[in-house]
Amino acid sequence: MSRKVRAATVLAFVLAAWAASAAVQMRIDAEIAPYRNTSETLWIPSGKVLKRLSFGHEGLVADIYWTRAVQYYGGRRRDHKTDFSLLGPLLEITTDLDPHLMIAYKFGALFLSEAPPEGADQPEAAVRLIKKGIQANPDDWRMWHDLGFIYYWNLKDYSAAAAAYLEGSKNPKVHPWMKVMAATISQKGGNRETSRFLWTEVYQSTTDPSIRENALQHLNGLKALDDMEEIEKRVAAFHDQTGRWPQTLRELVTHGLLRGIPSDPEGFPYELGPDRKIKLHPKSKVELEEENEGTRS
Amino acid sequence: MNSSPVLAVTLNTFREAVRDRILYNLVAFAVILIASAVLFGQISIGIEKIILINLGLSSISVFGLLIAIFLGINLVFKEIDKRSLYALLSKPVRRWQFLLGKFLGLNVTLLVNTIFMTAGFWAALYYLNRKFERQDQFIWVAIYFILLELSLVTAICLFFSCFSTPVLSAVFTFLLYIIGSFSADIRGFGELTHSAPLKALSTFVYYLVPNFSDFSVAAPVAHGKAVPGTLVLLNTIYTLCYASVLLVASMAVFSRKDLK
Repeated sequence: MSRKVRAATVLAFVLAAWAASAAVQMRIDAEIAPYRNTSETLWIPSGKVLKRLSFGHEGLVADIYWTRAVQYYGGRRRDHKTDFSLLGPLLEITTDLDPHLMIAYKFGALFLSEAPPEGADQPEAAVRLIKKGIQANPDDWRMWHDLGFIYYWNLKDYSAAAAAYLEGSKNPKVHPWMKVMAATISQKGGNRETSRFLWTEVYQSTTDPSIRENALQHLNGLKALDDMEEIEKRVAAFHDQTGRWPQTLRELVTHGLLRGIPSDPEGFPYELGPDRKIKLHPKSKVELEEENEGTRS
Repeated sequence: MNSSPVLAVTLNTFREAVRDRILYNLVAFAVILIASAVLFGQISIGIEKIILINLGLSSISVFGLLIAIFLGINLVFKEIDKRSLYALLSKPVRRWQFLLGKFLGLNVTLLVNTIFMTAGFWAALYYLNRKFERQDQFIWVAIYFILLELSLVTAICLFFSCFSTPVLSAVFTFLLYIIGSFSADIRGFGELTHSAPLKALSTFVYYLVPNFSDFSVAAPVAHGKAVPGTLVLLNTIYTLCYASVLLVASMAVFSRKDLK
């Protein structure tokens, strides 16, 4: 047998064995699948214990746990699950291991506080997380902003939100808008302009696509509310001018009250409902914020 | 003090170590791991740089520790096993000079390895950020602390290898490293008890074992926090003192060792 034939035989054998092993692995995957579908568990639920077991590499272990929290959150959202029971403990462990990992407080609180399907709907847990962050990082005024944001947006507790912004504004390095925010919320409670400012701040403060997307969705919802309110004013003007209500938005265009049929931030045209209220197009994915104190102009 | 025999043993130990292929494997593996941090950051949010610094420093530390232990445990044993020690000691080389040379040789090896791993780390950091920031200078302090830690591990290895087999030396060194990483807890447990003798014992053990947690500054450095100059000075003095104790103890044991 020549050397070339021998080499070809060996190569063929190796490839065949590899293909066989891959085929067997597929079978094993199918067999083992029911056992793999067990619920996720935190084997070591204490950050303090993990810190000791990390032998001085607690920063790296914190990064791993933060990545695990991100993956857990992303995975639950991807699978449209609303149970985020491990998110709080994962963030607790992460911040126990590295109390200066600011991103874990900021975005962790956002993951915790948002309503499903965007988050765990645990704003109280988010408040606890941010307060822990403030205690560990008293010089970081942004943590007060994050705390105020949760009180304002998720808990609608405007006096607590104003107090958080006021407390944060005492830091000498703080942006002047913190004081303005404290005064505005204290005077007006919730309003759409403040909400827009806060979500714009979230949008601009991150480069992460999923968080930007979430902030953008909120901003789009606020923009749609503005648009709908404005169109309803034009509908009322049409009634004032003609003494009757329009049947479609096209009539407003014909009367010169609109330059064209306006579209929502996703590009779908607004529609006029039978109750003379403006509605979103059925295919539009824009989510309107609840018309409560938090979004009213 | 005639330093030329020490220098000769140092250089010889370094030359011998760099011939070891496992060394290159470990260094290559560490560099690959550091480079992988760039990819690891992609599956997380907002910690690309932090994870690179933490993973980079941990890789340098862990692989340095492995190199220190696996080379350190054979420092004396191999010379005795290969009977090269007899030829060496028949020359004008004192036993303490031999040990000091071995210790310094391994430290030089670790320094060179760390330089290679550090170069890989800085390259990965530059690749990620396309620039270096002012606070990145504190990473050098963390790397310096890793070198101090490795120097201490080398001294421990050398001490055990003077009277024990390589396997047992590795086990003892590793256990002492673990105990040394928990030393603050040992004292903490003592303070929790109401027993004065137990408290005294835990305090004694705290000062007896090497305190490796002193060298752990990777997490604050990853956040761009400065390491106080006083800590740098104190850690340097601590390492010098503790390594000296171990070296002198090693020399005392080795000078009485029956080599027949």
